[in-house]
Amino acid sequence: MPDWEEIAKRKLTPLELDAKRQEEIVIELANHLEDLYEDLHRQGKSEVEAAQFALSTVADWNELRCEVQLAANEEVIMNYRLGPAEKHRFRTLWLPGACTIALSGILLRLLQMPSAPSPHVFWPQHDMPFVFYWQWFVCLPLVGAIGAYWSRHGGGKHLERALAASSPAVAWMCFPGLILPFGLAFQWIVHHSVPLVPAALFLLGWVVLPEAALLLGALPFLRGDAAESRPTAASH
Amino acid sequence: MESDRINIGTQVKRGSAELAILSVLAEGPLHGYQIAKCIERRTQGLLRFNLASLYPLLYRMEKRGWVEGTWEGRPGGRRRRFYRLAPAGRRRLVPLRAEWAQFFQALNRLAGVTHA
Repeated sequence: MPDWEEIAKRKLTPLELDAKRQEEIVIELANHLEDLYEDLHRQGKSEVEAAQFALSTVADWNELRCEVQLAANEEVIMNYRLGPAEKHRFRTLWLPGACTIALSGILLRLLQMPSAPSPHVFWPQHDMPFVFYWQWFVCLPLVGAIGAYWSRHGGGKHLERALAASSPAVAWMCFPGLILPFGLAFQWIVHHSVPLVPAALFLLGWVVLPEAALLLGALPFLRGDAAESRPTAASH
Repeated sequence: MESDRINIGTQVKRGSAELAILSVLAEGPLHGYQIAKCIERRTQGLLRFNLASLYPLLYRMEKRGWVEGTWEGRPGGRRRRFYRLAPAGRRRLVPLRAEWAQFFQALNRLAGVTHA
């Protein structure tokens, strides 16, 4: 019987892999050739015929070497594909959520243009104004409705629909949530006082009330089942 | 007869080859040669893997975390690398089956229209 390991080693190596992996690949392919050779021999072929046939199953050893090397070195990230769960989350949460954030941001930017109606300005402290865009709040239910509808259409569950609708408020909560503690600490160090009223108003105006407005718009779409379900296995 | 058989191995057929491998591994761990023989037997020789088409694909699938290979050996016997379906491979199998079922349904519909 041919020394299949020696044959595979001669034809396949050197591979640009570490020595252990290279040895494993050689042994594995040699095992395959040996299994095939033994099968053919059992079926009545002579040793020579069986060996020749087994070797002939690889038309081009150089090509196989390149293929094996490429496959063994393939970076996972290059071939990363979204699994069904990731696709589902992308469709029902990230995409509608990004849309509601973008839409609310665009609306706010439009309302900050010189030609837009003036916002209400409060002065909780004499040196700290608080700007309240009431027109923005009027539009937010519509934004929330779009986000929740989109998520439901994509098969989103109730929580996904609610999160997709309220993404702008969540984003606002995350943004100041990181900065606010530092700002309060800075105020304490410099002025020896903590501006709790402006901080609370900020959270109220940019997080709590927008969240309520967005969810109000989303409410009709938080009920009922998803428009489409997750993909299921097809029967053969 | 040989020309009627479909030799899997091209990039174009990789999707179907992945489905075939994941499907047989869903039933239990197998080493490379067993995978090839199992697919050949189950498709009555219509689909066949050879060494050059099987192992590069298996290594890619292992890199992606769809299958897990482990060396096993009996005392005095050959050590063999057995492949098992990994959780990611099991998850991948579900949409892959659905996609191919849809693909064949579409082909059937198309063939029906063509022959009408």
